[in-house]
Amino acid sequence: MNTTTQQTTSDIPNPNDFLSVKVKRHFSALAIDIALWSYTVLVSWKVIYEKVIMNMRYPKFFWTQPLTAFVIGAVIALALYMTSLSCGRAFTKLMKRDENKPVLKEPFSFFIIAIVILTFISGIYISQVSLHEFLSDSGLTGARRIFTALFNPNFAILEQATFAAIETIYMAFIATAVALPMAFIIAFFAARNLMSESKVTLAVYNIVRFFLNVSRSIEPLVWAIIFSVWVGIGPFAGMLALCLHSVSSLSKLYSEQIENISDGPIEAITATGAHPIQVIWYGVVPQIVLPYLSFTIYRWDINVRMATVIGLVGGGGIGTMLMQYQGLAKWNEVGMLVIIIAAIVWLMDWLSSRIRESIK
Amino acid sequence: MVLEIKNVNKVYPNGTHALRGVSFDVKEGEFLVIIGLSGSGKSTMLRCINRLHDVSTGEIMFEGKDITKLRGKDMRQVRSRIGMIFQHFNLVPRKSVMTNVLSGTLSRTGIFKSICGIYSEEDKKKARDYIKIVGLEGKENHRADNLSGGQQQRVAIARALMQNPKVLLADEPVASLDPATSHSVMQYLKKVNEELGVTVICNLHFLSLVREYSSRVVALKAGNLIYEGQPHDIDENWFQTIYGEEAVEVTIN
Repeated sequence: MNTTTQQTTSDIPNPNDFLSVKVKRHFSALAIDIALWSYTVLVSWKVIYEKVIMNMRYPKFFWTQPLTAFVIGAVIALALYMTSLSCGRAFTKLMKRDENKPVLKEPFSFFIIAIVILTFISGIYISQVSLHEFLSDSGLTGARRIFTALFNPNFAILEQATFAAIETIYMAFIATAVALPMAFIIAFFAARNLMSESKVTLAVYNIVRFFLNVSRSIEPLVWAIIFSVWVGIGPFAGMLALCLHSVSSLSKLYSEQIENISDGPIEAITATGAHPIQVIWYGVVPQIVLPYLSFTIYRWDINVRMATVIGLVGGGGIGTMLMQYQGLAKWNEVGMLVIIIAAIVWLMDWLSSRIRESIK
Repeated sequence: MVLEIKNVNKVYPNGTHALRGVSFDVKEGEFLVIIGLSGSGKSTMLRCINRLHDVSTGEIMFEGKDITKLRGKDMRQVRSRIGMIFQHFNLVPRKSVMTNVLSGTLSRTGIFKSICGIYSEEDKKKARDYIKIVGLEGKENHRADNLSGGQQQRVAIARALMQNPKVLLADEPVASLDPATSHSVMQYLKKVNEELGVTVICNLHFLSLVREYSSRVVALKAGNLIYEGQPHDIDENWFQTIYGEEAVEVTIN
């Protein structure tokens, strides 16, 4: 913004860099081609040939098979690399294309379409899609029975279900409230613009980011199973699972917000001779408070929905109740619970969007 | 001499050579203007003086001491004696004028106190005085981002004055303001320079403003210092050397 000086001479690429960039691109283009061809060979062989054509129920599997597919795929990819079938060269923009020709009429597009069709057919076989099961007489009778029960909810458990729902909402609230201060602090360490000062801070940034990504990529449902072994089945395990997941998601959202703030106030506060902590408090915090609030309310909304799912594995609240009645095949009671869950989700959704709207 | 810039070079990590062996002196109490095209190194020069950027080689002597190697508390101490205002004002949004002005005292307020927003009565009185000096009396509790551009720049001047600066750096202070407001802001800077005795170093684009307000001019071109002299000595030839053959002077009234 203010340092316009930075843009003077750096736009011209260094010729040496340029060469290595091109070599790198050829490498990735070839890798893409090999991956696509190996996949095609493997799927045609294992699914299309063995399952669909030979109709084998349990085809034998050896680790040499994917290896063979890879070798064949690599040979085909190398042989066809310079032809217009090469997707890798097309994706990395190494292929010189006629701009006026529609992309869909290029040979590599046919290859891509073929792969998609192949995957679709395999998918149908692997998921055992069967219209026969779906529309069979006994199947339809079962469906009729369960829907009749679901649409005749048992209001006798309304009170009990409402209390369970309240438990769920409070569990989600505590999970969010406990996660908030932790995420608030972690976010500063996960913001690139604040942490790129030196090698040490950058290392901290990378470590924090790594842990956030790992904990976020494990579903709360899995965390709930872990914590129910740790602290016993119940709302506390569910709350811990939600809390952990909220910390990592909120930290990520918060840190992205920090990365998007304008540098001006930070520069100005730094220029007054302020301590780095003062710079954060006066230059960063005022810019992030409202977006943070908005994210946090949204997270509470998500947590209420997730708490229901977590209840299914014993995380307490209305989810656990749903699981119990489902296990006993008491469908009228399940119908009641479904109505309450839908009402809560709708209510939370509406409430959180209204609050977020009003603090913009 | 308040400041002596000695053979300063600045190379950015991306390879841009922003300053090439720049040397000049800044005398106490003068209104020095740096002119030059965008990208000539003006902003970099100012940011090297208060250590927002580090110089690559060379020395910057502030009151006789080299400040380019200072770290931590010593560096912040020097920064606090050099105020700065910016093209885009850089006020803290959503905060009041008073809070923004008081943030100029952060270097002498404890960390804990400043986080709680506790300032000494003396500083508060001073803040009110400076707000009065820049003509914003009665706007102490207005939100800074609701003010007009010219008013925001005046808040920024008051904030810089809270530091009790020896030197005030102004990085294109009027580049995003309309002509009338530009003059008003420049007049406040002049007032700070003449009445409070603060040395001002100001980056400017408009030569008409340079002639009217500066007491001395240096010009940068592609990171080199190519002119040093009196504002009225910049003639047609110099103008074209500084701004290029095709440049036409635009005046601002």
